[in-house]
Amino acid sequence: MLWRPMTRLVLGRILGVAPVLLGVCFVVFAALHLAPGDAARTILGYGATEQRVQALRAALGLDRPLIVQFADWLWALLHGDLGRSISLGVPVSEIILDKIGASLLLMAASFALAAGLGLLFAALSGGAHRSARDRIITLAMLVLASLPPFWLGIVLLFVFGLQLRLLPISGMSSADGGVLDVARHLILPAVTTAASSMAVVARVTRSAFVDAMNEPYALAARARGLSETRIVGVEAMRNVLPGFVTIAGLQIGYLFGGALFSEIVFNWPGIGLQLFQAIVQRDFPVVQGCVLAIAAVFVLGNLAADLLAIALDPRRRG
Amino acid sequence: MIPRFRSALAIGRRSLLAGAAALSIAALAPAPRALADAGTLTIGIEADLARLDPHISGTWNTFKALSHIYEGFVAEDLLATGVATPPIVPALAESWEVSADKKTYTFRLRRGVSFHDGEPWNAAAAKFNLDRMTNPAFEFHQPGAVGMLQWVWGDLAGYEVVDDYTIRIVLKQPNSEFLRRLAAGGSGTPRMISPAAVRKFGNDGINANPVGTGPFKFGEREVGVRTVLVRNDGYWDPKRTPKLQRIVLRGIPEVTTRELGLLTGELDMISTPSPDSLEYLAAQGMTLVKGPVATIYPIWLNFREKPLQDVRVRRAMAMAIDRESMAKFLRRGTAQPAYGILNYGGPGWDPDYRDFPYDPEGAKKLLAEAGYPDGFETRLDWTMGGGGDVNTRADAEWIQRDLGRIGIRATIELFDNGTYWDMMAKGAREGTCCMQVSWGETGFFWLDLVLPTTALPPNGFNSGWYENPKMNELLAAARAAPTEEQMVATLHQIRDIVTEDVALIPVYTPLQVYAMRPNVKGFVLAPQHWADYTSVYKE
Repeated sequence: MLWRPMTRLVLGRILGVAPVLLGVCFVVFAALHLAPGDAARTILGYGATEQRVQALRAALGLDRPLIVQFADWLWALLHGDLGRSISLGVPVSEIILDKIGASLLLMAASFALAAGLGLLFAALSGGAHRSARDRIITLAMLVLASLPPFWLGIVLLFVFGLQLRLLPISGMSSADGGVLDVARHLILPAVTTAASSMAVVARVTRSAFVDAMNEPYALAARARGLSETRIVGVEAMRNVLPGFVTIAGLQIGYLFGGALFSEIVFNWPGIGLQLFQAIVQRDFPVVQGCVLAIAAVFVLGNLAADLLAIALDPRRRG
Repeated sequence: MIPRFRSALAIGRRSLLAGAAALSIAALAPAPRALADAGTLTIGIEADLARLDPHISGTWNTFKALSHIYEGFVAEDLLATGVATPPIVPALAESWEVSADKKTYTFRLRRGVSFHDGEPWNAAAAKFNLDRMTNPAFEFHQPGAVGMLQWVWGDLAGYEVVDDYTIRIVLKQPNSEFLRRLAAGGSGTPRMISPAAVRKFGNDGINANPVGTGPFKFGEREVGVRTVLVRNDGYWDPKRTPKLQRIVLRGIPEVTTRELGLLTGELDMISTPSPDSLEYLAAQGMTLVKGPVATIYPIWLNFREKPLQDVRVRRAMAMAIDRESMAKFLRRGTAQPAYGILNYGGPGWDPDYRDFPYDPEGAKKLLAEAGYPDGFETRLDWTMGGGGDVNTRADAEWIQRDLGRIGIRATIELFDNGTYWDMMAKGAREGTCCMQVSWGETGFFWLDLVLPTTALPPNGFNSGWYENPKMNELLAAARAAPTEEQMVATLHQIRDIVTEDVALIPVYTPLQVYAMRPNVKGFVLAPQHWADYTSVYKE
């Protein structure tokens, strides 16, 4: 009796992702094909005659109706073929596979920071409502939430990279490499990306803690002589978690957006930096591939958060 | 139960903290720096490299690598000092003869030269490359090369192998700067690729496996991260045998990151620091090298706009712009005012030539004479610029202000570089008076794309609709000039007519800036968009 609506709910969420991704594909495809600019001319260079450009347009199928081109493109996409980069001359799928790892690493580290520290600060401040600690943390979170990542990144670079010489300035590894080396390169971009999301998570979750601490079960726990730490960390936590997972899941999109800036500031070789360079060089196939990859991560990340929230909150199982 | 559980948690927490602290200390320990390796020069450039196939390569930054990997028949000597235009010197051709009618070039090829993969350089290899660039029937023809190299092979009639080390190239009409075009680069370049490498890796495979004859060979590339060039120990020219073991090129688009990377020693050299940072970088002990580059930033004027059809209005606009102050205060000494359409570093450039005086009062009078005492409303279309351009919006705002002072009220519209060039390929749009552009090369071939009526959109970039048939005649005469003196004299005629017609307003020539750590020595700044790194070493 119980598993059926649950399964339907989960399956519904998963199936709901397909039209969203299809829609994203179409918007990405249409936006780039309707924008000014011509792939054939980009390939041939500005010295080419109009006649040659038309010939190449025909050869590339660019003169066919947009919807036919879209169907073709989608069919190729389903076979893992995203076309060939104009500026680099290599398959786009290779570039994406090469870069997505670096972006996911940065995302995962930022997410861990944002969610972990966000929850910690929420518990510390919400668990002690209106205390000095609560006020200080709330103020600090307000400041952090207002910092543009681009600016924060440069300030962190200036302090930790240049003044203190503790951390490297750019890239993902030095030539010699190693896990620890990557970790050193990861610290500043991850902190930069995570800062404002962590503040948002902390502020929203703090309110949930404040509410939970006023619930009768918290009073009952106190009456039974449980310590404040246990009430906040275990009793209130259990009730705060589903909301926390949802808000943290929502941050995935923001983190990816923030990571884009961090990648440029820290020259982190991920999808964002690649996208930036591809836009500058008018490399349409790469722009398309990068946007699609980012959209896929966004949608799948939110799906994962949704499913986790369902698993954590019995009320949502219907 | 509960107390025991809690203490276990406490211990766990304590050891966790200790572990985290140990980890962070280990992580924070300073790592070996790039500085340690004296044979490696790490350069931070404005963007990652594009395709590495020279016949279809696109960007100036890419050429910073390609110019070291590949060579052509002739080269520009970028180590020559004290010259505005780099002299042309033999490279893969030892010598050449030009026929009396200036149409036939016979190149005697250098003997004993090998490509980086061991393949010998000879007339067969030269023909392979000519076929690849120009012959659509050839098995390894590169279709993109036809458009990209139009400016080099547009006049080609044919070519033939004379013997193993001689090749003859015949042109349809004389071209006074054919050798210059063979030596130049940046947007497609007629340099020689190992035929064996093309056969082995395929036409597209050359982008990832470039094999030439140059002083550096391709080492490795991680797209978006770094490209490594390694010294070619068997290089044919002892004068240009690299002092460095390795060059690492890293594309870092964010200028602040490039600057910080230089200051910490992660990078040995960077190109195009921000003009606002130059004083700070110098104060930190960095070496700054700057000099003009073969480029000019002119403004196209839209001849289809009613007010601009009167030459007095165009002249008034030119007289309203304070180029000297712009170079000095806005560009902070990283530009010099440009006078006349012939660019610094190109043929016929004359340091003493002056076109329009800065005279806003005179400009106002001219406007009034032309029937616009209160000026008019218009628009500036501007590009955000490519890799080497810094803050082009400020240029637009400066010109907007200067035009405002004589009553011409202009709005500004800014476009990304690609979109902008697509617009310009279609010609100036209605309602726009001025469009910024950067042009220029060590040859004058770019004028062919900008000035003649044959270059009116969509066939070229005469985007302001300037129609003066004399341009077609004179440019053809300059190309066909039998001597350099005659070519320069004709170019001067072209320059004077462009000034008289006020077809374009020259604004400034940028100074390219490189910043390097104090231990980097031997760098020679060339008036080109790239430099020769064979003379560079680290102390």
